[in-house]
Amino acid sequence: MVLIKRFNAYHRVLHIAMAVSFIGLVATGMPLKYAGAPWATWLMKLLGGYSAAGLIHRICAVITFGYFATHISYVLYYIAIVRKFKFNILGPESMVPWIKDLKDIYGSFRWFLGLGPRPQFDEWTYWEKFDYWAVFWGVGMIGVSGLFLWFPEFFGQFFPGWAFNIATVIHSDEALLAAGFIFTIHFFNTHLRPEKFPMDPVIFTGTLSLQELQHERPLEYQRLAEARRIEQVITSPQAPWLTDIGIIFGFLLVLAGFLLLILIIMGQFIY
Amino acid sequence: MKFLILVLILMVFLFPAVAVSKDVCYDCHGIKGMKDYIDPALFEQSVHMSLACNKCHVDVTAIPHGKAAKVNCGICHFLGREGAPQEQASEYKLSVHGRATAAGNSAAPTCQTCHGSHYIFPSADARSVTNKRNIPLLCSHCHPQEFDVYKGSIHGTELLDNHNTAAPTCFDCHLEHMTPPTASNLWQLSLIKECGMCHSEEMKTYRETYHGKVTELGYTTVAKCSDCHGSHNIQRLDNPQSTLSPQNILSTCKKCHASASIGFTKYYAHPEISNKAKYPLLYYTYRFMTLLLIGVFAFFFTHTLLWAYRSMKERMQKKGDE
Repeated sequence: MVLIKRFNAYHRVLHIAMAVSFIGLVATGMPLKYAGAPWATWLMKLLGGYSAAGLIHRICAVITFGYFATHISYVLYYIAIVRKFKFNILGPESMVPWIKDLKDIYGSFRWFLGLGPRPQFDEWTYWEKFDYWAVFWGVGMIGVSGLFLWFPEFFGQFFPGWAFNIATVIHSDEALLAAGFIFTIHFFNTHLRPEKFPMDPVIFTGTLSLQELQHERPLEYQRLAEARRIEQVITSPQAPWLTDIGIIFGFLLVLAGFLLLILIIMGQFIY
Repeated sequence: MKFLILVLILMVFLFPAVAVSKDVCYDCHGIKGMKDYIDPALFEQSVHMSLACNKCHVDVTAIPHGKAAKVNCGICHFLGREGAPQEQASEYKLSVHGRATAAGNSAAPTCQTCHGSHYIFPSADARSVTNKRNIPLLCSHCHPQEFDVYKGSIHGTELLDNHNTAAPTCFDCHLEHMTPPTASNLWQLSLIKECGMCHSEEMKTYRETYHGKVTELGYTTVAKCSDCHGSHNIQRLDNPQSTLSPQNILSTCKKCHASASIGFTKYYAHPEISNKAKYPLLYYTYRFMTLLLIGVFAFFFTHTLLWAYRSMKERMQKKGDE
Protein backbone atom coordinates (compact mmCIF):
# COMPACT_ATOMS: atom_id res chain seq x y z
CA MET A 1 0.00 0.00 0.00
CA VAL A 2 1.36 3.40 -0.99
CA LEU A 3 1.08 5.89 1.85
CA ILE A 4 0.71 9.62 1.45
CA LYS A 5 1.74 12.10 4.11
CA ARG A 6 -1.11 14.40 5.16
CA PHE A 7 -0.20 15.54 8.69
CA ASN A 8 3.29 16.06 10.05
CA ALA A 9 4.38 15.52 13.67
CA TYR A 10 3.53 19.11 14.56
CA HIS A 11 -0.05 18.78 13.28
CA ARG A 12 -0.59 15.54 15.16
CA VAL A 13 0.91 16.70 18.44
CA LEU A 14 -1.17 19.88 18.26
CA HIS A 15 -4.35 17.91 17.59
CA ILE A 16 -3.67 15.65 20.55
CA ALA A 17 -2.98 18.64 22.81
CA MET A 18 -6.24 20.14 21.61
CA ALA A 19 -8.27 16.95 22.01
CA VAL A 20 -6.94 16.09 25.46
CA SER A 21 -7.30 19.62 26.83
CA PHE A 22 -10.77 19.87 25.29
CA ILE A 23 -11.93 16.65 26.97
CA GLY A 24 -10.42 17.95 30.21
CA LEU A 25 -12.24 21.27 29.91
CA VAL A 26 -15.59 19.67 29.10
CA ALA A 27 -15.30 17.06 31.87
CA THR A 28 -14.49 19.67 34.51
CA GLY A 29 -16.80 22.40 33.21
CA MET A 30 -20.01 20.51 32.51
CA PRO A 31 -20.65 19.40 36.13
CA LEU A 32 -20.72 23.10 36.99
CA LYS A 33 -23.01 23.99 34.08
CA TYR A 34 -25.39 21.17 34.97
CA ALA A 35 -24.87 21.36 38.75
CA GLY A 36 -28.49 20.31 39.30
CA ALA A 37 -28.06 16.95 37.56
CA PRO A 38 -27.33 13.96 39.82
CA TRP A 39 -24.34 12.92 37.70
CA ALA A 40 -22.72 16.32 38.26
CA THR A 41 -22.13 15.61 41.95
CA TRP A 42 -20.43 12.27 41.40
CA LEU A 43 -18.39 13.45 38.43
CA MET A 44 -17.16 16.37 40.55
CA LYS A 45 -16.21 13.93 43.32
CA LEU A 46 -14.52 11.65 40.79
CA LEU A 47 -12.42 14.59 39.60
CA GLY A 48 -11.27 15.22 43.16
CA GLY A 49 -13.73 17.90 44.20
CA TYR A 50 -14.54 21.34 42.96
CA SER A 51 -11.11 22.88 43.65
CA ALA A 52 -9.25 20.04 41.92
CA ALA A 53 -11.65 20.25 38.95
CA GLY A 54 -11.09 24.01 38.84
CA LEU A 55 -7.34 23.46 38.74
CA ILE A 56 -7.62 20.87 35.93
CA HIS A 57 -9.90 23.27 34.04
CA ARG A 58 -7.33 26.07 34.32
CA ILE A 59 -4.40 23.79 33.34
CA CYS A 60 -6.34 22.72 30.24
CA ALA A 61 -7.12 26.37 29.53
CA VAL A 62 -3.40 27.17 29.60
CA ILE A 63 -2.77 24.27 27.19
CA THR A 64 -5.50 25.71 24.95
CA PHE A 65 -3.96 29.17 24.91
CA GLY A 66 -0.60 27.43 24.32
CA TYR A 67 -1.66 25.45 21.24
CA PHE A 68 -3.55 28.45 19.91
CA ALA A 69 -0.44 30.65 20.12
CA THR A 70 1.72 27.83 18.75
CA HIS A 71 -0.55 27.47 15.76
CA ILE A 72 -0.59 31.21 14.99
CA SER A 73 3.22 31.20 15.15
CA TYR A 74 3.37 28.11 12.95
CA VAL A 75 1.13 29.63 10.29
CA LEU A 76 3.26 32.80 10.21
CA TYR A 77 6.47 30.73 10.12
CA TYR A 78 5.09 28.50 7.36
CA ILE A 79 3.96 31.35 5.11
CA ALA A 80 6.97 33.59 5.70
CA ILE A 81 9.89 31.18 6.00
CA VAL A 82 8.88 27.84 4.47
CA ARG A 83 6.92 29.33 1.56
CA LYS A 84 8.76 32.66 1.45
CA PHE A 85 5.43 34.47 1.10
CA LYS A 86 4.63 32.47 -2.08
CA PHE A 87 1.39 31.15 -0.68
CA ASN A 88 -1.98 31.72 -2.26
CA ILE A 89 -4.27 32.51 0.67
CA LEU A 90 -7.33 31.82 -1.47
CA GLY A 91 -5.83 28.77 -3.17
CA PRO A 92 -6.49 25.07 -2.64
CA GLU A 93 -3.78 24.68 0.00
CA SER A 94 -5.25 27.39 2.18
CA MET A 95 -7.79 26.94 4.96
CA VAL A 96 -9.50 30.19 3.99
CA PRO A 97 -13.01 29.46 2.71
CA TRP A 98 -13.66 30.71 -0.78
CA ILE A 99 -16.17 30.43 -3.64
CA LYS A 100 -15.42 26.76 -4.33
CA ASP A 101 -16.49 25.92 -0.78
CA LEU A 102 -19.90 27.52 -1.30
CA LYS A 103 -20.25 25.57 -4.55
CA ASP A 104 -19.23 22.38 -2.72
CA ILE A 105 -21.85 22.91 0.00
CA TYR A 106 -24.49 23.35 -2.70
CA GLY A 107 -23.12 20.34 -4.59
CA SER A 108 -23.08 18.20 -1.45
CA PHE A 109 -26.70 18.87 -0.67
CA ARG A 110 -27.57 18.00 -4.30
CA TRP A 111 -25.61 14.77 -3.90
CA PHE A 112 -27.30 13.98 -0.56
CA LEU A 113 -30.68 14.34 -2.26
CA GLY A 114 -29.64 12.29 -5.28
CA LEU A 115 -29.71 15.28 -7.64
CA GLY A 116 -26.10 15.23 -8.73
CA PRO A 117 -22.66 13.67 -8.38
CA ARG A 118 -20.54 14.04 -5.28
CA PRO A 119 -18.46 17.26 -5.46
CA GLN A 120 -14.76 16.84 -6.15
CA PHE A 121 -12.74 17.95 -3.15
CA ASP A 122 -9.24 19.32 -2.93
CA GLU A 123 -6.88 19.24 0.05
CA TRP A 124 -9.39 20.76 2.49
CA THR A 125 -13.15 20.23 2.35
CA TYR A 126 -15.62 22.87 3.50
CA TRP A 127 -16.50 20.94 6.68
CA GLU A 128 -12.83 20.68 7.57
CA LYS A 129 -12.46 24.41 7.08
CA PHE A 130 -15.51 24.96 9.27
CA ASP A 131 -13.94 22.80 12.04
CA TYR A 132 -10.73 24.76 11.70
CA TRP A 133 -12.28 28.23 11.96
CA ALA A 134 -14.72 27.13 14.64
CA VAL A 135 -11.69 26.66 16.90
CA PHE A 136 -10.71 30.30 16.35
CA TRP A 137 -14.24 31.46 17.18
CA GLY A 138 -14.53 29.05 20.10
CA VAL A 139 -11.15 29.73 21.66
CA GLY A 140 -11.77 33.45 21.20
CA MET A 141 -15.21 33.50 22.80
CA ILE A 142 -14.61 30.88 25.50
CA GLY A 143 -11.04 32.01 26.09
CA VAL A 144 -11.80 35.70 26.63
CA SER A 145 -14.93 35.06 28.72
CA GLY A 146 -12.97 32.40 30.65
CA LEU A 147 -10.21 34.90 31.48
CA PHE A 148 -12.88 37.29 32.81
CA LEU A 149 -14.21 34.56 35.08
CA TRP A 150 -10.73 33.44 36.09
CA PHE A 151 -9.54 36.95 37.08
CA PRO A 152 -12.73 38.82 38.04
CA GLU A 153 -11.01 41.20 40.43
CA PHE A 154 -8.54 42.29 37.73
CA PHE A 155 -11.19 42.79 35.03
CA GLY A 156 -13.51 44.41 37.59
CA GLN A 157 -11.18 47.42 37.56
CA PHE A 158 -12.02 48.12 33.92
CA PHE A 159 -15.46 46.56 33.44
CA PRO A 160 -18.69 46.71 35.43
CA GLY A 161 -19.44 43.57 37.43
CA TRP A 162 -22.27 42.52 35.13
CA ALA A 163 -19.64 41.81 32.49
CA PHE A 164 -19.11 38.56 34.46
CA ASN A 165 -22.78 37.70 34.02
CA ILE A 166 -22.39 38.16 30.27
CA ALA A 167 -19.12 36.21 30.33
CA THR A 168 -20.89 33.37 32.15
CA VAL A 169 -23.62 33.16 29.49
CA ILE A 170 -21.09 33.24 26.65
CA HIS A 171 -18.71 30.76 28.30
CA SER A 172 -21.46 28.31 29.16
CA ASP A 173 -23.42 28.40 25.88
CA GLU A 174 -20.34 28.50 23.70
CA ALA A 175 -19.01 25.46 25.58
CA LEU A 176 -22.26 23.65 24.89
CA LEU A 177 -21.94 24.58 21.22
CA ALA A 178 -18.33 23.39 21.03
CA ALA A 179 -18.87 20.13 22.91
CA GLY A 180 -22.14 19.40 21.14
CA PHE A 181 -20.51 20.06 17.76
CA ILE A 182 -17.29 18.10 18.31
CA PHE A 183 -18.97 15.08 19.91
CA THR A 184 -21.60 14.72 17.19
CA ILE A 185 -20.83 16.51 13.94
CA HIS A 186 -17.03 16.40 13.99
CA PHE A 187 -17.11 12.77 15.11
CA PHE A 188 -19.52 11.84 12.33
CA ASN A 189 -17.83 13.84 9.57
CA THR A 190 -14.39 12.48 10.29
CA HIS A 191 -14.89 9.08 11.91
CA LEU A 192 -18.37 7.63 11.98
CA ARG A 193 -19.73 8.17 8.49
CA PRO A 194 -20.01 4.88 6.64
CA GLU A 195 -16.96 5.58 4.45
CA LYS A 196 -14.71 5.94 7.52
CA PHE A 197 -16.47 3.91 10.22
CA PRO A 198 -15.42 3.32 12.94
CA MET A 199 -12.56 5.76 12.74
CA ASP A 200 -10.35 7.70 10.35
CA PRO A 201 -6.92 7.44 11.99
CA VAL A 202 -5.23 9.94 9.65
CA ILE A 203 -4.83 12.64 12.33
CA PHE A 204 -3.17 10.08 14.63
CA THR A 205 -0.99 8.29 12.05
CA GLY A 206 -0.39 11.23 9.73
CA THR A 207 -0.84 9.13 6.60
CA LEU A 208 -3.56 8.02 4.22
CA SER A 209 -3.40 5.58 1.32
CA LEU A 210 -2.95 6.72 -2.27
CA GLN A 211 -6.35 5.19 -3.16
CA GLU A 212 -8.01 7.22 -0.43
CA LEU A 213 -6.38 10.39 -1.75
CA GLN A 214 -7.53 9.63 -5.29
CA HIS A 215 -11.04 8.81 -4.16
CA GLU A 216 -11.62 11.40 -1.42
CA ARG A 217 -9.59 14.31 -2.68
CA PRO A 218 -9.31 13.87 -6.48
CA LEU A 219 -8.46 17.51 -7.13
CA GLU A 220 -5.51 17.39 -4.73
CA TYR A 221 -4.29 14.19 -6.36
CA GLN A 222 -4.59 15.77 -9.81
CA ARG A 223 -2.78 18.90 -8.63
CA LEU A 224 0.07 16.86 -7.18
CA ALA A 225 0.27 14.64 -10.24
CA GLU A 226 0.40 17.58 -12.64
CA ALA A 227 3.16 19.21 -10.59
CA ARG A 228 4.93 15.80 -10.47
CA ARG A 229 4.99 16.05 -6.67
CA ILE A 230 3.39 12.68 -5.82
CA GLU A 231 6.83 11.19 -5.07
CA GLN A 232 7.52 14.00 -2.62
CA VAL A 233 4.46 13.20 -0.49
CA ILE A 234 4.82 9.43 -0.56
CA THR A 235 6.07 8.28 2.81
CA SER A 236 7.09 5.04 4.45
CA PRO A 237 4.76 3.75 7.19
CA GLN A 238 5.74 4.74 10.69
CA ALA A 239 6.57 2.16 13.38
CA PRO A 240 3.53 -0.12 13.88
CA TRP A 241 3.49 0.48 17.64
CA LEU A 242 3.20 4.22 17.04
CA THR A 243 0.25 3.63 14.75
CA ASP A 244 -1.36 1.34 17.32
CA ILE A 245 -0.94 3.92 20.07
CA GLY A 246 -2.43 6.55 17.80
CA ILE A 247 -5.48 4.42 17.03
CA ILE A 248 -6.05 3.39 20.66
CA PHE A 249 -5.69 6.99 21.68
CA GLY A 250 -8.17 8.08 19.06
CA PHE A 251 -10.69 5.49 20.23
CA LEU A 252 -10.34 6.59 23.84
CA LEU A 253 -10.93 10.21 22.86
CA VAL A 254 -14.04 9.34 20.86
CA LEU A 255 -15.30 7.18 23.73
CA ALA A 256 -14.70 9.95 26.30
CA GLY A 257 -16.48 12.36 24.00
CA PHE A 258 -19.51 10.08 23.71
CA LEU A 259 -19.75 9.59 27.47
CA LEU A 260 -19.64 13.33 28.01
CA LEU A 261 -22.20 13.82 25.26
CA ILE A 262 -24.62 11.52 27.07
CA LEU A 263 -24.16 13.49 30.30
CA ILE A 264 -24.65 16.78 28.48
CA ILE A 265 -27.85 15.57 26.85
CA MET A 266 -29.13 14.37 30.24
CA GLY A 267 -28.19 17.71 31.82
CA GLN A 268 -29.75 19.75 29.05
CA PHE A 269 -33.02 17.90 28.59
CA ILE A 270 -33.80 15.92 31.75
CA TYR A 271 -32.81 18.01 34.76
CA MET B 1 -57.44 16.09 62.97
CA LYS B 2 -56.16 18.39 65.72
CA PHE B 3 -59.65 18.58 67.12
CA LEU B 4 -59.91 14.80 67.17
CA ILE B 5 -56.63 14.50 69.04
CA LEU B 6 -57.87 17.09 71.52
CA VAL B 7 -61.07 15.12 72.08
CA LEU B 8 -59.06 11.93 72.59
CA ILE B 9 -56.78 13.65 75.07
CA LEU B 10 -59.82 15.07 76.88
CA MET B 11 -61.33 11.59 77.10
CA VAL B 12 -58.16 10.24 78.66
CA PHE B 13 -58.22 13.20 81.03
CA LEU B 14 -61.73 12.29 82.12
CA PHE B 15 -60.70 8.72 82.83
CA PRO B 16 -60.99 8.61 86.67
CA ALA B 17 -57.92 6.51 87.56
CA VAL B 18 -55.52 9.10 86.12
CA ALA B 19 -57.32 12.03 87.68
CA VAL B 20 -57.40 10.42 91.04
CA SER B 21 -53.72 9.72 91.08
CA LYS B 22 -52.99 13.36 90.23
CA ASP B 23 -55.42 14.60 92.87
CA VAL B 24 -53.31 12.87 95.47
CA CYS B 25 -50.32 14.94 94.40
CA TYR B 26 -52.39 18.12 94.20
CA ASP B 27 -53.30 17.60 97.85
CA CYS B 28 -49.86 19.00 98.64
CA HIS B 29 -48.43 20.54 95.45
CA GLY B 30 -51.73 22.09 94.41
CA ILE B 31 -51.81 24.40 97.42
CA LYS B 32 -50.50 27.90 96.78
CA GLY B 33 -47.44 28.72 98.81
CA MET B 34 -46.50 25.09 99.07
CA LYS B 35 -42.98 24.03 98.04
CA ASP B 36 -42.95 23.01 94.35
CA TYR B 37 -46.41 24.47 93.83
CA ILE B 38 -48.15 23.35 90.65
CA ASP B 39 -51.13 25.35 89.38
CA PRO B 40 -53.60 22.51 88.67
CA ALA B 41 -55.74 24.69 86.39
CA LEU B 42 -52.75 25.53 84.22
CA PHE B 43 -51.30 22.03 84.22
CA GLU B 44 -54.62 20.62 83.12
CA GLN B 45 -54.26 22.70 79.91
CA SER B 46 -50.71 21.52 79.15
CA VAL B 47 -49.79 18.88 76.58
CA HIS B 48 -49.11 16.42 79.40
CA MET B 49 -52.43 16.91 81.18
CA SER B 50 -53.46 13.28 80.63
CA LEU B 51 -50.35 11.91 82.32
CA ALA B 52 -50.18 10.96 85.96
CA CYS B 53 -47.41 12.75 87.89
CA ASN B 54 -45.40 9.57 88.40
CA LYS B 55 -45.28 8.90 84.65
CA CYS B 56 -42.50 11.50 84.68
CA HIS B 57 -41.51 11.53 88.36
CA VAL B 58 -40.80 7.82 88.25
CA ASP B 59 -38.73 7.93 91.41
CA VAL B 60 -41.79 8.98 93.46
CA THR B 61 -43.26 5.64 94.46
CA ALA B 62 -44.67 6.36 97.92
CA ILE B 63 -46.05 9.34 99.82
CA PRO B 64 -44.55 11.17 101.55
CA HIS B 65 -41.48 11.26 99.30
CA GLY B 66 -38.01 12.72 99.49
CA LYS B 67 -36.39 15.07 96.97
CA ALA B 68 -37.50 14.03 93.49
CA ALA B 69 -34.80 13.66 90.83
CA LYS B 70 -34.76 15.75 87.65
CA VAL B 71 -37.20 14.26 85.17
CA ASN B 72 -35.69 12.40 82.22
CA CYS B 73 -37.91 13.24 79.25
CA GLY B 74 -36.18 10.51 77.29
CA ILE B 75 -38.09 7.76 79.09
CA CYS B 76 -41.03 8.62 76.84
CA HIS B 77 -39.59 10.87 74.13
CA PHE B 78 -36.56 8.76 73.37
CA LEU B 79 -38.02 5.35 74.05
CA GLY B 80 -41.39 6.16 72.55
CA ARG B 81 -43.65 5.32 75.50
CA GLU B 82 -47.13 6.79 75.95
CA GLY B 83 -47.24 7.61 72.24
CA ALA B 84 -44.74 10.42 72.74
CA PRO B 85 -43.13 11.90 69.61
CA GLN B 86 -39.57 10.55 69.45
CA GLU B 87 -37.62 12.14 66.62
CA GLN B 88 -36.99 15.40 68.50
CA ALA B 89 -35.12 13.61 71.28
CA SER B 90 -32.94 11.69 68.83
CA GLU B 91 -32.21 14.90 66.95
CA TYR B 92 -31.35 16.66 70.19
CA LYS B 93 -28.85 13.96 71.15
CA LEU B 94 -26.84 14.71 67.99
CA SER B 95 -27.15 18.51 68.26
CA VAL B 96 -24.51 20.86 69.65
CA HIS B 97 -26.74 21.26 72.72
CA GLY B 98 -27.20 17.53 73.23
CA ARG B 99 -23.53 16.76 72.72
CA ALA B 100 -22.52 19.48 75.16
CA THR B 101 -24.96 18.10 77.75
CA ALA B 102 -23.63 14.58 77.21
CA ALA B 103 -20.09 15.91 77.66
CA GLY B 104 -21.09 17.22 81.07
CA ASN B 105 -21.49 20.93 80.27
CA SER B 106 -24.08 22.02 82.84
CA ALA B 107 -24.67 25.33 81.03
CA ALA B 108 -25.93 23.49 77.92
CA PRO B 109 -29.69 23.41 77.53
CA THR B 110 -31.66 20.24 78.23
CA CYS B 111 -35.32 19.66 77.29
CA GLN B 112 -36.60 21.60 80.29
CA THR B 113 -34.38 24.61 79.60
CA CYS B 114 -36.37 25.41 76.49
CA HIS B 115 -39.72 23.70 77.08
CA GLY B 116 -40.14 24.34 80.81
CA SER B 117 -41.52 21.45 82.83
CA HIS B 118 -45.14 21.50 83.94
CA TYR B 119 -46.65 24.20 81.76
CA ILE B 120 -45.79 22.88 78.33
CA PHE B 121 -48.26 24.10 75.73
CA PRO B 122 -48.47 23.30 72.04
CA SER B 123 -46.19 25.69 70.19
CA ALA B 124 -49.20 27.22 68.42
CA ASP B 125 -50.41 28.44 71.86
CA ALA B 126 -49.26 32.01 72.52
CA ARG B 127 -48.38 30.98 76.11
CA SER B 128 -45.87 28.42 74.88
CA VAL B 129 -42.21 29.40 75.34
CA THR B 130 -41.62 27.81 71.94
CA ASN B 131 -44.41 29.80 70.28
CA LYS B 132 -42.92 31.46 67.20
CA ARG B 133 -43.09 34.94 68.71
CA ASN B 134 -41.44 33.79 71.94
CA ILE B 135 -38.57 31.88 70.38
CA PRO B 136 -36.09 34.76 70.02
CA LEU B 137 -36.55 35.64 73.68
CA LEU B 138 -36.12 32.00 74.66
CA CYS B 139 -32.77 31.70 72.86
CA SER B 140 -31.68 35.13 74.15
CA HIS B 141 -31.23 33.70 77.65
CA CYS B 142 -28.02 32.03 76.47
CA HIS B 143 -27.35 33.96 73.24
CA PRO B 144 -28.00 37.62 74.18
CA GLN B 145 -25.67 39.16 71.57
CA GLU B 146 -27.26 37.24 68.72
CA PHE B 147 -30.67 38.29 69.97
CA ASP B 148 -29.70 41.96 70.11
CA VAL B 149 -28.57 41.87 66.48
CA TYR B 150 -31.55 39.79 65.33
CA LYS B 151 -34.20 41.99 66.91
CA GLY B 152 -32.98 44.97 64.83
CA SER B 153 -32.91 42.96 61.58
CA ILE B 154 -35.69 42.87 59.00
CA HIS B 155 -36.66 39.38 60.13
CA GLY B 156 -36.58 40.38 63.82
CA THR B 157 -38.59 43.59 63.41
CA GLU B 158 -41.13 41.82 61.20
CA LEU B 159 -41.70 39.12 63.79
CA LEU B 160 -41.36 41.02 67.05
CA ASP B 161 -42.68 44.47 66.09
CA ASN B 162 -45.03 43.75 63.20
CA HIS B 163 -46.19 40.33 64.48
CA ASN B 164 -45.52 38.84 61.05
CA THR B 165 -45.20 35.14 61.87
CA ALA B 166 -43.97 34.37 58.36
CA ALA B 167 -40.65 35.94 59.35
CA PRO B 168 -38.01 33.41 60.38
CA THR B 169 -36.88 32.99 63.96
CA CYS B 170 -33.82 31.27 65.41
CA PHE B 171 -35.41 27.84 64.87
CA ASP B 172 -36.00 28.25 61.13
CA CYS B 173 -32.30 28.46 60.42
CA HIS B 174 -30.73 26.73 63.42
CA LEU B 175 -33.27 23.87 63.48
CA GLU B 176 -34.59 23.71 67.05
CA HIS B 177 -33.72 20.15 68.01
CA MET B 178 -30.95 19.41 65.53
CA THR B 179 -28.95 22.63 66.10
CA PRO B 180 -26.00 21.43 64.03
CA PRO B 181 -22.59 23.07 64.49
CA THR B 182 -22.55 26.31 62.46
CA ALA B 183 -19.35 25.09 60.77
CA SER B 184 -21.24 22.08 59.35
CA ASN B 185 -21.16 22.04 55.55
CA LEU B 186 -24.41 20.14 55.34
CA TRP B 187 -26.17 22.73 57.50
CA GLN B 188 -24.73 25.67 55.59
CA LEU B 189 -25.92 24.17 52.32
CA SER B 190 -29.37 23.37 53.69
CA LEU B 191 -29.73 27.01 54.76
CA ILE B 192 -29.77 28.08 51.12
CA LYS B 193 -32.87 25.96 50.60
CA GLU B 194 -34.30 27.31 53.85
CA CYS B 195 -33.97 30.89 52.58
CA GLY B 196 -35.42 29.69 49.28
CA MET B 197 -38.60 28.53 51.01
CA CYS B 198 -39.70 32.16 51.15
CA HIS B 199 -37.31 33.77 48.64
CA SER B 200 -37.86 31.24 45.86
CA GLU B 201 -37.21 33.56 42.89
CA GLU B 202 -33.96 34.70 44.46
CA MET B 203 -32.86 31.12 44.97
CA LYS B 204 -33.65 30.26 41.36
CA THR B 205 -31.59 33.16 40.02
CA TYR B 206 -28.78 32.41 42.52
CA ARG B 207 -28.59 28.87 41.10
CA GLU B 208 -27.83 30.41 37.70
CA THR B 209 -24.59 31.86 39.02
CA TYR B 210 -21.20 30.35 39.77
CA HIS B 211 -21.86 30.78 43.51
CA GLY B 212 -25.18 28.94 43.26
CA LYS B 213 -23.80 26.11 41.16
CA VAL B 214 -20.78 25.40 43.34
CA THR B 215 -22.98 25.26 46.46
CA GLU B 216 -25.48 23.07 44.61
CA LEU B 217 -22.64 20.61 44.00
CA GLY B 218 -22.04 20.49 47.75
CA TYR B 219 -19.13 22.87 48.31
CA THR B 220 -19.34 25.78 50.74
CA THR B 221 -16.28 27.85 49.87
CA VAL B 222 -18.25 30.29 47.70
CA ALA B 223 -20.85 32.92 48.62
CA LYS B 224 -24.03 31.61 50.19
CA CYS B 225 -27.07 33.77 51.05
CA SER B 226 -25.79 34.91 54.43
CA ASP B 227 -22.27 35.65 53.19
CA CYS B 228 -23.66 38.59 51.24
CA HIS B 229 -26.93 39.46 52.99
CA GLY B 230 -25.76 38.84 56.54
CA SER B 231 -27.47 36.46 58.93
CA HIS B 232 -28.71 37.84 62.25
CA ASN B 233 -28.19 41.37 60.95
CA ILE B 234 -30.03 40.92 57.65
CA GLN B 235 -31.72 44.08 56.32
CA ARG B 236 -33.64 45.20 53.25
CA LEU B 237 -31.34 46.27 50.39
CA ASP B 238 -32.57 49.88 50.64
CA ASN B 239 -31.63 50.07 54.30
CA PRO B 240 -28.24 51.80 54.72
CA GLN B 241 -27.49 49.22 57.42
CA SER B 242 -27.69 46.39 54.87
CA THR B 243 -24.43 44.58 54.12
CA LEU B 244 -25.29 45.24 50.47
CA SER B 245 -26.10 48.97 50.73
CA PRO B 246 -23.94 51.25 48.58
CA GLN B 247 -21.91 52.11 51.68
CA ASN B 248 -21.27 48.49 52.66
CA ILE B 249 -21.31 46.40 49.49
CA LEU B 250 -17.61 46.77 48.64
CA SER B 251 -16.44 45.54 52.04
CA THR B 252 -18.92 42.65 51.78
CA CYS B 253 -17.51 41.56 48.39
CA LYS B 254 -14.00 42.02 49.75
CA LYS B 255 -14.58 39.33 52.37
CA CYS B 256 -13.85 36.83 49.57
CA HIS B 257 -12.59 39.01 46.69
CA ALA B 258 -9.86 40.89 48.53
CA SER B 259 -9.00 43.28 45.71
CA ALA B 260 -12.54 43.93 44.52
CA SER B 261 -13.31 47.41 43.17
CA ILE B 262 -16.55 49.42 43.03
CA GLY B 263 -17.01 48.29 39.43
CA PHE B 264 -16.75 44.68 40.57
CA THR B 265 -19.73 45.16 42.90
CA LYS B 266 -22.00 45.79 39.91
CA TYR B 267 -22.16 42.01 39.40
CA TYR B 268 -25.69 40.61 39.28
CA ALA B 269 -25.69 37.96 41.98
CA HIS B 270 -29.31 37.17 41.00
CA PRO B 271 -29.44 37.58 37.20
CA GLU B 272 -32.80 37.26 35.47
CA ILE B 273 -31.60 36.19 32.09
CA SER B 274 -34.94 36.62 30.34
CA ASN B 275 -35.84 39.98 31.88
CA LYS B 276 -35.34 42.25 28.88
CA ALA B 277 -36.33 45.48 30.64
CA LYS B 278 -34.04 44.99 33.62
CA TYR B 279 -30.99 43.34 32.03
CA PRO B 280 -31.08 44.21 28.30
CA LEU B 281 -27.45 43.37 27.49
CA LEU B 282 -27.60 40.06 29.30
CA TYR B 283 -30.91 39.27 27.64
CA TYR B 284 -29.61 39.99 24.12
CA THR B 285 -26.39 38.05 24.74
CA TYR B 286 -28.46 35.08 25.81
CA ARG B 287 -30.78 35.45 22.80
CA PHE B 288 -27.82 35.71 20.43
CA MET B 289 -26.15 32.62 21.88
CA THR B 290 -29.38 30.63 21.73
CA LEU B 291 -29.93 31.53 18.08
CA LEU B 292 -26.30 30.75 17.26
CA LEU B 293 -26.59 27.30 18.82
CA ILE B 294 -29.90 26.54 17.17
CA GLY B 295 -28.61 27.78 13.81
CA VAL B 296 -25.35 25.82 13.83
CA PHE B 297 -26.93 22.61 15.11
CA ALA B 298 -29.91 22.84 12.75
CA PHE B 299 -27.66 23.28 9.71
CA PHE B 300 -25.13 20.60 10.58
CA PHE B 301 -27.58 18.02 11.90
CA THR B 302 -29.51 18.29 8.63
CA HIS B 303 -26.21 18.05 6.74
CA THR B 304 -25.12 15.01 8.79
CA LEU B 305 -28.42 13.14 8.54
CA LEU B 306 -28.68 13.63 4.77
CA TRP B 307 -25.04 12.62 4.37
CA ALA B 308 -25.56 9.48 6.44
CA TYR B 309 -28.59 8.61 4.31
CA ARG B 310 -26.69 9.08 1.02
CA SER B 311 -23.61 7.18 2.19
CA MET B 312 -25.67 4.23 3.37
CA LYS B 313 -27.58 4.15 0.12
CA GLU B 314 -24.38 4.20 -1.95
CA ARG B 315 -22.87 1.44 0.15
CA MET B 316 -25.92 -0.74 -0.34
CA GLN B 317 -25.88 -0.12 -4.06
CA LYS B 318 -22.20 -1.05 -4.22
CA LYS B 319 -22.90 -4.27 -2.36
CA GLY B 320 -25.79 -4.98 -4.70
CA ASP B 321 -23.53 -4.46 -7.74
CA GLU B 322 -20.96 -6.91 -6.35
